[in-house]
Amino acid sequence: MYICIKGIEYYLPATKETNVSLKDDNPDWRINDIEKKTGITSRRISSKLQTATDMAESACRKLINNGLNIKDVDFIILVTQSPDYVLPTSACILQDRIGAGSCIAFDINLGCSGFVYGLAVSSSLISSGLARQGILVCSDTYTKYIDKHDRTCRPLFSDAAAATHISVASKDSIGSFELGSDGSGFDQLIVQSSGSRVNSNKNQSSKLYMSGADVFMFTMDMVPKVVNSVLLKSNKTIEDIDLFVFHQASKLVIDSIVRHLELPKEKVFVNLKNIGNTVSATILIALSDAVRGDKINTGDLIMLVGFGVGYSWGGCLIRWT
Amino acid sequence: MEQSKNEVLEIIAKSLEVDKERITVESTVDSLEEWDSLGHLSILVSLDKKFQGRLAGIKEMASVTSVNSILKILKNNNLI
Repeated sequence: MYICIKGIEYYLPATKETNVSLKDDNPDWRINDIEKKTGITSRRISSKLQTATDMAESACRKLINNGLNIKDVDFIILVTQSPDYVLPTSACILQDRIGAGSCIAFDINLGCSGFVYGLAVSSSLISSGLARQGILVCSDTYTKYIDKHDRTCRPLFSDAAAATHISVASKDSIGSFELGSDGSGFDQLIVQSSGSRVNSNKNQSSKLYMSGADVFMFTMDMVPKVVNSVLLKSNKTIEDIDLFVFHQASKLVIDSIVRHLELPKEKVFVNLKNIGNTVSATILIALSDAVRGDKINTGDLIMLVGFGVGYSWGGCLIRWT
Repeated sequence: MEQSKNEVLEIIAKSLEVDKERITVESTVDSLEEWDSLGHLSILVSLDKKFQGRLAGIKEMASVTSVNSILKILKNNNLI
């Protein structure tokens, strides 16, 4: 598809939570073990009144400060599972707050696969002629859903927003999308009381529940298939890929993916140590850090793969322009 | 089979960072405090490594709560 990424900016909340805080709240936790397995030493925590839309606005304003003319934007897509309201759409609120024209604006309710899905939808809007350029922003405040004593979720998740300016391009730069879902795993990563569903079991929790083991088994089964499918669709091999950017779920997950696919470690970008798992924003933040760290050069072929809550997954290739 | 079983017990012990004598066929999540959610993930990762990625499609491994169950599933899937 003749689409390109023209800019990436991200916003991290000011509050940084180290693993010392985890230990203070949970003296029985083996922090060294947790850190070794997650690969995460600190996370960012949104303030009490700070929402995903607030953080998205901050990320978008960075794009604007770097030269994006907001009045030229044809669409704003907000990927979030922490909307300001069930209704109205948070993307509409964002549209107003960043001073965009009356453009297309909608939310995508997806988590860790959300950026790749969002990129596919953005690319489709542009390819169809409905738009020439727009903003895709991924933002979540998962930490607000997490119990401070939850040993599965608390060491992992972090809050952030990442925004990208996507535009029509003169070269075929984005494609070979592989998107999918398996709703049989819907309850393995869930906030039970977060919507309209009322269960006969009245104890519907308002906190995030994740079955780490089930999500891990899904990931090990599906992610290699997604990678191979994208390669097959694009008539490429692992050797043709210059960099893999996976959703930064945890060190344990990424290491297992690398092992399954026998990927050269130097081709896999990892940056979750001081950021954590920021849900749909992880891939964009990783891309941004990879560019700034000179890990990506013009012309490089990069594979992006997001996977998780839903279950849902998405993979694609981009030629860095 | 006996050797494979002992190898699995050793892997579980190493994953949970306990002495191998503490892991028997009768061991369960209730009998070992180290077998928490992270410990369980460690077991899955280690077994996945041992069986060269062939654990990935065996969903029921995610919810096992005993060594006996692990061994049964591995046997049913011709891994031991």
